[in-house]
Amino acid sequence: MIWNEAKECMSRDEITNLQSARLRKMVDRVYHSVEFYRKKMQQMGIEPGDIKGVEDLHKLPFTTKNDLRDNYPFGLFAVPQSEIVRIHASSGTTGKATVVGYTRRDIEIWSECVARVLAMDGVGPQDKIQVAYGYGLFTGGLGLHYGAENLGATVIPMSTGNTQKLITMMQDFGATAIACTPSYLLHIAETLEEAGQIGNIKLKAAICGAEPWTENMRKEIEAKLNLKAYDIYGLSEIMGPGVAADCEYHNGLHVYEDHFIPEIINTETLEPCKEGEIGELVFTTITKEALPLFRYRTRDLTSISYDKCECGRTLARISRFKGRSDDMLIIRGVNVFPSQVEAALLEISETSPHYMLIVDRVNNLDILEVQVEVEESFFSDEIRQLESLTKKIAHVLQSALGLSVKVTLVEPKTIQRSEGKAKRVIDKRKLV
Amino acid sequence: MIKQLSVFVQNEIGSLAGVTTVLKDNNINLRAIASFDTPEFAILRIVVDQPEKAKNLLSENGFAVKMSEAVAVELEDKPGELHGMLQEIALANLGVNYIYSIVLRNGKAPLMIVNTDNLEKTATVLKEKGYRVAEQGDLEA
Repeated sequence: MIWNEAKECMSRDEITNLQSARLRKMVDRVYHSVEFYRKKMQQMGIEPGDIKGVEDLHKLPFTTKNDLRDNYPFGLFAVPQSEIVRIHASSGTTGKATVVGYTRRDIEIWSECVARVLAMDGVGPQDKIQVAYGYGLFTGGLGLHYGAENLGATVIPMSTGNTQKLITMMQDFGATAIACTPSYLLHIAETLEEAGQIGNIKLKAAICGAEPWTENMRKEIEAKLNLKAYDIYGLSEIMGPGVAADCEYHNGLHVYEDHFIPEIINTETLEPCKEGEIGELVFTTITKEALPLFRYRTRDLTSISYDKCECGRTLARISRFKGRSDDMLIIRGVNVFPSQVEAALLEISETSPHYMLIVDRVNNLDILEVQVEVEESFFSDEIRQLESLTKKIAHVLQSALGLSVKVTLVEPKTIQRSEGKAKRVIDKRKLV
Repeated sequence: MIKQLSVFVQNEIGSLAGVTTVLKDNNINLRAIASFDTPEFAILRIVVDQPEKAKNLLSENGFAVKMSEAVAVELEDKPGELHGMLQEIALANLGVNYIYSIVLRNGKAPLMIVNTDNLEKTATVLKEKGYRVAEQGDLEA
């Protein structure tokens, strides 16, 4: 069903008028409350009055993840701390987290967006949904949780980490929907298959996101579990899951344009791409109170279409993601930058900063292996000392990345040395 | 006391041959070799006739190498010899970390190479009990 027909099925003119009105208000408010943007606009010689509508969006400055880091933790917040009701954070590129905040109204809008997604995926008050994204600083768990409660569904807040318990409750409670990463859902499907219990489940919808996946993976999930699987997209900087999602026609992800204005830009020229052309996705928030962002560069590569969808929604659709314009990896839903590994290794005196990341998918679960060179100066001839070094490196990396890591020691000087841009990552996952 | 070299190698095809290539090309004679492996890596322990030269050459060729001492004990080639030696080490309350052997010595007695928590004490105890403990010079050509 369409949760908010008034907003999801507007004409293009209505969308543009609403966006322009909201953009004008936001620019004015941000100019007067966020020093970072005021200074940027002054440097560029623009005033709030210069932004008359969506057509002037290109005049505004871009925002990058670095800007959030430079203003860590709360420098870009546009409201007093007393109005902030929640904080989320994701790991940053050099160990410092990217921190985001929400007012009560921001949480309401987020819950509205996620409720729209769930309704689009056929979930309603009669459903029992297992939320198997991580709960905590990561936006996945709580984002889906609040949206599902807003919808009136029965929420089973599983979080991650205990597949057996998840499966037991799935059967005992008769769960009809699940929200988790697509690779984890495939892992659940295989566990059910092995136990011969695939016929004992009542799931009819899966809301999958937080990592890239393909049409083939969707079809495989649907065939194995006899349900409908949908794609949900989001990023904490903009809001969290629910910025965009696909409908039953799986013809791109609908962007909630009444809250976020999408643009696709050429990563070289930073000029807008034509409709259908692949470029970097950029978002401007137009209703966010706590952390409004101008033209945030997501680094996700995609294209956009403004055609009306068969489902009846008129919202712009972004295509399946084609990759990233930076070196970020998404492993089990966790964002990992190679530079984080380097920073963590430098903290351990016995290691060299020569490393290689190998990402693979075994039994539908992502595996991160970090190869580290053994330096002669810390080489011990006792196996147990090398093993305790391996454990120490694994522990440091795990706390830095928030992800379990397999550490392999390799011979000195076997990892390619940096000559310009060193190749630090081998991604063996085949997304076809 | 003799000198042994420990070399870090990955547990993969050809890794041991990589070490022996360096030794062969520089005319270094191996006296003993033992490898101790885990699923991912191995430590290769070798005894050679020219340990300092071998250590430098292996380091130059990119291997992580550590030179250390070990006790080498001459044993007669008969049943119970090794047991007797191990018994003496245990009676002296010394723990054996690892042990490997040189069996062929051009007619001379086999050598057992032992690493314990206390090498000096091990050598002293064994000498007191009548065992012959070899020195590096005994291994040179």
